[in-house]
Amino acid sequence: MKISLDWLAEYVSWDDTPGELAAKLTSVGLNVEGLEEYRQTFPEVVIAHVVEREQHPDADRLSLCSVDDGTGEPVQVVCGAPNVREGLTVLFARVGAVLPGNFKIKKSKIRGVESFGMICSANELGLSSEAAGIMELATELAPGTPADELYGFSDTVLDIEVTPNRPDWLSHIGVAREVAAIYGTMVSMPPVWSFQPSSENLGFQIKIEDPDDCHRYGAFGASGVQIGPSPDWMQNRLRAIGSRPINNLVDITNYVMFELGQPMHAFDRAKLTGDTITIRAAEPGTLVTTLDEQERKLGKGTLLVCDGDGPIALAGVMGLANTEVTDSTTELILESAFFNPKLVRTASRGLGLVSESSYRFERGSDWDMVEKAALRALQLYHDLAGANILPAWADRQDPDRKAVQSIPLRLWQVNRVLGTSLTTDQVAQHLQSLGLKVQPMGNSGKGSRNAVDMMVRIPSFRRDLFQEIDLIEEIARSYGLDNLSGGSGFCGAGGGVRDQDDLMQRRMRHWFSDCGYHEMVTSSFLGSGDNERLGMSEEDPRSQTLAVINPHHGGDTQLRTTLLPSLMDVVRRNLNAGASTPVRLFQINRTFWPAGAKRTDYLQKDDLLLPEEPVFLQFAVAGWRRSGLDGIPSDLLEIKGSLESLGTHLRLSLELEAADSEIWLQAGSQWLIKDRNGKVVGSAGRVDPGVLDRFDIELPVAVAEINLSAADLTPEPMKFQPFTRFPAVRRDLSLLVPAETNWSSIRETVINSAGPLLEQVELFDIYRGKGVSEGKGAFGIRLKFRSQKGNLKGKTVDKAIVKILEGLSGRLNIEPRSQD
Amino acid sequence: MKETIDRLRSEGSERIKAAGSESEVEAVRVALLGRKGEITSLLRGLKDVDPAERPAMGAELNRLKLDLGELLDSRQAEIGGTGGSSANLVGDLTLPGVPPAAAGTNHPLLTVLESICDIFYGMGFSRDDGPEVELDYYNFTALNFPDDHPARDIQDTFYIDPKVCLRTQTSPVQVRTMERNEPPLASIFPGRVYRNENADASHSSEFFQIEGLVVDKSISMADLKDTVDTFVRNFFGADEPTRFRPHFFPFTEPSVEVDMQCVVCRGSGCGVCGQTGWLEIMGAGMVHPNVFKAVGYPEDVYTGFAFGMGIDRIAMLKYGVGDIRLLYENDLRFLTQFRGVF
Repeated sequence: MKISLDWLAEYVSWDDTPGELAAKLTSVGLNVEGLEEYRQTFPEVVIAHVVEREQHPDADRLSLCSVDDGTGEPVQVVCGAPNVREGLTVLFARVGAVLPGNFKIKKSKIRGVESFGMICSANELGLSSEAAGIMELATELAPGTPADELYGFSDTVLDIEVTPNRPDWLSHIGVAREVAAIYGTMVSMPPVWSFQPSSENLGFQIKIEDPDDCHRYGAFGASGVQIGPSPDWMQNRLRAIGSRPINNLVDITNYVMFELGQPMHAFDRAKLTGDTITIRAAEPGTLVTTLDEQERKLGKGTLLVCDGDGPIALAGVMGLANTEVTDSTTELILESAFFNPKLVRTASRGLGLVSESSYRFERGSDWDMVEKAALRALQLYHDLAGANILPAWADRQDPDRKAVQSIPLRLWQVNRVLGTSLTTDQVAQHLQSLGLKVQPMGNSGKGSRNAVDMMVRIPSFRRDLFQEIDLIEEIARSYGLDNLSGGSGFCGAGGGVRDQDDLMQRRMRHWFSDCGYHEMVTSSFLGSGDNERLGMSEEDPRSQTLAVINPHHGGDTQLRTTLLPSLMDVVRRNLNAGASTPVRLFQINRTFWPAGAKRTDYLQKDDLLLPEEPVFLQFAVAGWRRSGLDGIPSDLLEIKGSLESLGTHLRLSLELEAADSEIWLQAGSQWLIKDRNGKVVGSAGRVDPGVLDRFDIELPVAVAEINLSAADLTPEPMKFQPFTRFPAVRRDLSLLVPAETNWSSIRETVINSAGPLLEQVELFDIYRGKGVSEGKGAFGIRLKFRSQKGNLKGKTVDKAIVKILEGLSGRLNIEPRSQD
Repeated sequence: MKETIDRLRSEGSERIKAAGSESEVEAVRVALLGRKGEITSLLRGLKDVDPAERPAMGAELNRLKLDLGELLDSRQAEIGGTGGSSANLVGDLTLPGVPPAAAGTNHPLLTVLESICDIFYGMGFSRDDGPEVELDYYNFTALNFPDDHPARDIQDTFYIDPKVCLRTQTSPVQVRTMERNEPPLASIFPGRVYRNENADASHSSEFFQIEGLVVDKSISMADLKDTVDTFVRNFFGADEPTRFRPHFFPFTEPSVEVDMQCVVCRGSGCGVCGQTGWLEIMGAGMVHPNVFKAVGYPEDVYTGFAFGMGIDRIAMLKYGVGDIRLLYENDLRFLTQFRGVF
């Protein structure tokens, strides 16, 4: 809401700079987001006389004028306005003037004739939206007098953030009340029309079909209105707050709305039929044309204002074109009403039409202002449009809905919530400064839980106050939040229990970043077609996604069921941006499974509607073509090594089992991941080339994903084991291994054959090629032996080696490589 | 033995000084400290010394051994050797080092979130999580947002169906936590939230928040203020003034917004703070009685406060990131800048 200080000063006084005023308003909750110097100024535009006017020699519609602009020398200027004539007093823009819209006035040649400036229309000066020829001034001011003497205006405009609970602040008078409370001054209301008692009749009666829809409706009449521009002071103020002046009739209702907060609407009485104004709900599908010349189809529940023939306004939202005030209007019916806020909101949202009026009505208007604002507008019609105010008006109201009430207040609760030790008198003073009426209850000072210390009567402009806590907030605002002190600080009501999952995730995040992985935060939404790119079949439960029904324009709708598409997106973008490879990435994020497990311990039954939200850890090595041990791709080995190392680091047992299970991983290049209970909790492997292709990625990607919500992440408990100080003995073996034999079976056989002295088996090399027979590999393994009982003798180790070699030979047909 | 030690001390240092080349220094080292050196044999001879004197002698001998070793090292360095060993310079010591692992990064959003959590853990808060796909009931109704009220417009909501939405705030976790626990309560609820709006430099349809809740029998607004100030002091630094501005949130009353002095201009007004000198960092207030009613807490027994803040904005302020979209692009040219940031 923009507030003009020039305008505000009409109702309240304050002795402070605009900056200080803004700071104080902010501190009581009117957050001043902007403080702008508004200047309406016209440098190099002056009052001038048209001394001569001739026809332009070469253009029928142009005039060639000689203008006295006060410099003594007549100025030649070409003018295109039909109303230019000798003897006029005009506003003249000299060469060098800059008009609104950065329109620079330069010396020019128009159809062969030189022109030194421009005679201005109100439109060109930004003073009117209508282009109706040049301005004709009636002023005694001498030529050369700056236009600012007549039209200059400077103001300070505050841009105030108004929260939805305070519709009363959507007006200058509402802000004036707060200013008065801050500075201890009084608010003076603007003059309003006063009716003389009369037996006459307006000629219309009001009919409200459902009193719940419209709590109050008043209709007022004016005749003999003279339409024209509104006075400069009104135009200036409207422009200062960003509202475009149109004509006096339109400007008056707008002005009163910004002044008092009550939206009103004026009908051209001559266009109204019948003798009854009816407020009723629209038939769904009704077609109407609103003032903005849009044809609109109405939904169910749209509230209408109707005359004898049908709709004339969308109640509280916008009038209809059929009864619009025009230049030929001479008689008005002015509507001022209190519409049900919910209905206005429904209509406004249903039509996608938010007006200044609907914005205020849906937040709740002021019952008493229905009448006051109308009287204010009538006064202005009378003063500014020469209107004759009809002596009768129609007002249909349901007084029970006025909702003025009294709220009991306990001092005990005030001080408990705020941490203050205010007295009854202090509390009363704070409330009274805000225009609330306080009636003490004779319990003063008791301050006990059940003692109501005062009843507080709520004025009609504070519809946001319902209950005790609302009053406590008012007291806090008035007392000053910065004055609250003496908080004991809060110290650990619950004792601060750290969640194990959180600790585990945190360790994972740090471990991955320490190991060279970069952490991603990716969107919960799937790109369109992402699951199809993964090759997910319809039977896969993860193909069932949730979708939002109201995405923003062009936005994605489906929530992801896996993290893979987001990884593909990040990999593609970074590789395209020339990132050095390998790119190591990881993320811990949620997925959304509507087909997943339902909650069982819900407190609201509707929790059954919610999806399972498993949290996944994903990490990936992308863009690496290198081969590692025995020709296996390095990225696969690194993914595996990372998983094993992660398991060690977090004291988890994560087992990998080579198996083809995941649709988007390449067959023969993937593992299942099992937790310590043998439960499958994830998969790892190389992304299938077809999938990479569909995501436009040309380099390989190896990835692992673990469902952290499903896995047993309890760390293996730490218990110290006594260790022996006897030294270890190391032996290396070179083995000739047939092609089909895998390392896992070799390792198992070695361990099973060696006996209890073997402490560790490591594979350090695989060699194939020259010197090794075709189809076999030379495996270099390192063995570590240790006895718990004493120093190991060479002979003892030799015996173990023999057993190992026997085992390997017997079970796997593996022989030691001869030392040739 | 004492005399021998003293003699060796003076003679030894003379001989070291006299050594003129690396090989001479090495020869003196062998003669004194080598396996058959004089000091080594004296050490061996300790076993024959009177047990009463043995500890003192042993200490004296060891000191001598260390001192002469140092003299030898420094003499060697003077002559141009590499110190304690006779090896020559290994080669170009300006070659790049080999790290144990490439340096990765944690995402700045989560780094900020984590350090904020740590401050509250230190103050005794616990942590709870809630669903991101949330019931309209928890996201709005139980938080005292009336149906069809303009207060709901503040937050443009993604709906899955009329009863289910993507949470627009972490506040629904307040309700879930209170439903399941009796006070005293002190908990934080960090997480991702969603708003149905188009992305630009300062808006994202997904972002992160952290919410805090404290409920007990006599929690006051002054306590809220103290808690907020403690947090700001710990997170931003000791001398950052804050101010409370009255505001409106349906689920707290009185409600406030908390501003801190602009970290960029120190209050004098700049582009970052919109010339106000203040930066809004959180919303807060006293838990509204209607919220207590919704979770079944008895009337007039408990009071409490809640606060919530946007992590993205704080991360952007802290690291000078001007466009929120950078936080969600995961561009390595962005992420790698956060190496070592914790």
